[in-house]
Amino acid sequence: MATRSRQAALLPVVLTGFLALAACSGGGSSSSQSSPGGGAGKTLVIDTSFNLKTADPGRTYEPTGLIVGKAAYDTLLTFNGGDLTKPVPDLAESYDMSSDGTKLTLKLRQGATFADGSPVTADDVVFSLTRVRDMKGTPSFLLDGVEIAKTDETTITLTSKTPNPALPFILPNPALGILNSKVAKEHGATTDTADKAEQYLNSASAGSGPYTIESLNVSSEVVLKRNAKYWGARKPVYDKVVIRNVQAATQKLNVQRGDSQVALDLSGDQLAGISGGLQVTKTASANVVFLLANQDPSVSKVTSSPKFAEAVRKGLDYPGLLELAGEGSVQAPGVIPSMLLGALPADQVVKRDVEGAKAALKESGAANPTVKLEYPSELTVNGLSLQPVAERIQANLKEVGITVELAPSPVTTALDNYRNGKEQLGLWYWGPDYPDPSDYLAFLPGKLVGLRAGWKAGADKELEAAGEKAATTVGDDARKQAYVDIQTKLNASGPFIPLIQPSQNIVTAASVTGLTYNPVWTVDVADLGTK
Amino acid sequence: MSPTSAPSKTGKAPSRASRKRSPLARFLVRRVVTALLLALGITLVTFVLTNLVPGDPVSANLGQRALGDPAIVAQWRADHGLDKPLPQQYLLYLGGLVHGDLGESQQSHRPVSEDLADFVPATLELAGAAILVSLVLGVAFGVFAALRRDRLPDHVLRVLSLVGISVPTFWLALVAFYIFFYRLQVTPGSGRIDPGMTAPPHVTGLYTIDSALAGQWDVFSSAIGHLIAPALVLALYTIGLLTRFTRSAVLEVLGQDYVRAARAKGLPGRVILFRYVVRPALVPIITVAGLAFGSLLSGTVLVEAVFAWPGVGQYAYKSATTLDLPAVMGVGLVVGGVYLIINLVVDVLYGVIDPRVRVS
Repeated sequence: MATRSRQAALLPVVLTGFLALAACSGGGSSSSQSSPGGGAGKTLVIDTSFNLKTADPGRTYEPTGLIVGKAAYDTLLTFNGGDLTKPVPDLAESYDMSSDGTKLTLKLRQGATFADGSPVTADDVVFSLTRVRDMKGTPSFLLDGVEIAKTDETTITLTSKTPNPALPFILPNPALGILNSKVAKEHGATTDTADKAEQYLNSASAGSGPYTIESLNVSSEVVLKRNAKYWGARKPVYDKVVIRNVQAATQKLNVQRGDSQVALDLSGDQLAGISGGLQVTKTASANVVFLLANQDPSVSKVTSSPKFAEAVRKGLDYPGLLELAGEGSVQAPGVIPSMLLGALPADQVVKRDVEGAKAALKESGAANPTVKLEYPSELTVNGLSLQPVAERIQANLKEVGITVELAPSPVTTALDNYRNGKEQLGLWYWGPDYPDPSDYLAFLPGKLVGLRAGWKAGADKELEAAGEKAATTVGDDARKQAYVDIQTKLNASGPFIPLIQPSQNIVTAASVTGLTYNPVWTVDVADLGTK
Repeated sequence: MSPTSAPSKTGKAPSRASRKRSPLARFLVRRVVTALLLALGITLVTFVLTNLVPGDPVSANLGQRALGDPAIVAQWRADHGLDKPLPQQYLLYLGGLVHGDLGESQQSHRPVSEDLADFVPATLELAGAAILVSLVLGVAFGVFAALRRDRLPDHVLRVLSLVGISVPTFWLALVAFYIFFYRLQVTPGSGRIDPGMTAPPHVTGLYTIDSALAGQWDVFSSAIGHLIAPALVLALYTIGLLTRFTRSAVLEVLGQDYVRAARAKGLPGRVILFRYVVRPALVPIITVAGLAFGSLLSGTVLVEAVFAWPGVGQYAYKSATTLDLPAVMGVGLVVGGVYLIINLVVDVLYGVIDPRVRVS
């Protein structure tokens, strides 16, 4: 009997043994603030769902890559915290835009050094920016048509043929981080498409930022190491920063348990139950989720009517959509997100008017139309899945008399139709390439996003002229008004229906200080401190 | 008599070459040729299927602005060889493959072979631990259930094995992570070792072995701790499967005359169990275990996602969703290779366990 009892208890004994072994190996303790195998000192663990292809600043353009880039490379200009309205000096100690907006002069700061201790020179700046522009990598467009020149050892000029008032807002992008040109050239960096430095820059960094790259794996983990020779006043606090690729559900448990100190991608729903001294930052992101109604009659005779877009715009229940996005999200008043210059005021958001929508639908000439709504099925925007948003839109428009057939597909498939302007109705989002309203001129007829909605050049000459004027307008007040006018017109008669700016929810441990959400680089690791 | 010494069907004497070749050599040659053909088939099927997907790798890999610049798009296509006709792309890939070049990943911008060298050991460590646990527990439970047929332990184990087979791995992984890591705090969190720890010097890529070789016992302890929960989750299905198969195999053997004869001779129960019952029952069990190892590899995609395990499953998922053809084909070749090796091992084990297989 005794033998039988022991045998019957085999399963729990074995399992308990395994778990005890796991517990003995450190499972029961948080490893957050020390590094048992990696030497003494503080370690910060950041969990995020990776969108990372490279750490080469000349090629990076994905959110995780920008976090890494911001930590490892300094730029000429930067933003203070989350304030995107005013670029401030970084490696440049001052800048001056000519009155016609074609020439930006930057004075290089003296005393800034790379991680190897060598000084940051004007030659490094010219090499780095020319490399980005001419290597034809993803961020090359940022410096399209910009001539980069060294005037003297401390002065750099960026000259454009046409006014480029957005340039000071473009320069803080970590993709324009300044490389140690000597080190980069030694590892194959060139200023043309023959550049071979990426492999090196993915294993080590050559910047002047507060951290250096210790190791990088684009699918799992990036380890940053404190730059002991950092030149700036804000010295990095953590000896090591580990950025891990962790899915959102696991991020929540990790930060709650203390296995990580920062969780970047929690959705509104996942914030429920967060407690225990954790800090939650909810900020409307700069991503604008929008609907497009294709204006090309060959794609859809129904959606190409301006009155149809009006019916959709008036038929949507925006507060209902906001509920899906969770607390901290805001209704997008226009295509330009609320934190950028030229954004429409919050009181100008579109409100639901079902009767108005029905009237507009009647005027469009379509009786009980059926249209197809395409969207990327697995894509989430700041934790917001587009699937429930599409379902809510379907339900809203049913009340107006529009039957919406949902057509989700994988991103790679959906992108093709979107890019080629073949969607009748499309549900997508736009994140700013750089935090300047000129980026949103892409929504005008004949431009990048306009064409995706089948809105060809010449479709709205007045709006197109307003866009051309806004692009070359200099001066904050004048620019603001120009973009407000454009969006007001877009909201009245354009094919785009701005919906939501989902909240970027960041949860940090009670011990972490200094976190500010920035829509360009999400979080500046160097800002993070400890109590 | 060796089959090679038998007269041929044509009545002619066997050639000198065939006389010289041993059965093992012929077996291995056959396997190598099969492996090469299979590898070719994998590349062809993967290449065709990936290109049939209605999507463009350029869209999946370039930013929205970059997509609007024809020069950048053209450069990207040229960099990845996508500017050439499809048949030429395939032949170029095969040409590279002959020289051991699996191409460059569009995601990581590194040679696929280097990516796989990073990710495959992580998955092998996880799947290896899982299959080890499965074999030990699954066979033990199966034998135990068979010996206690229709009694309480048998019923309990049958229900448990059914649960193991039925519960979706992804759900189980989430629940296990929640309970053991978050609630009970007995297992460590995400990844292969604690954050902040430095990985052991690369020898095999298996952290448990590499850390032991380096004498880094804190890393070893951490690696073992991190391995336990995902390995158990991954193993549960296979434990259930092996329990059921072992039970029925052992029951079948228990009814054989020679077992009754052994009992009648008064042989000790342990001798009967291990020599007369378990050993012959192992043949079907090994077949199932081999197949189960394959399913473990596919199961790792989900488990790796939950436990943030940097293995080939996550790499495969990311590659597939971004139409990263060289990476997808590389993963296909690795998985195909693993299947072949497992089949080879299973065939060899048949011979070890059952001498009749060796003779035939």
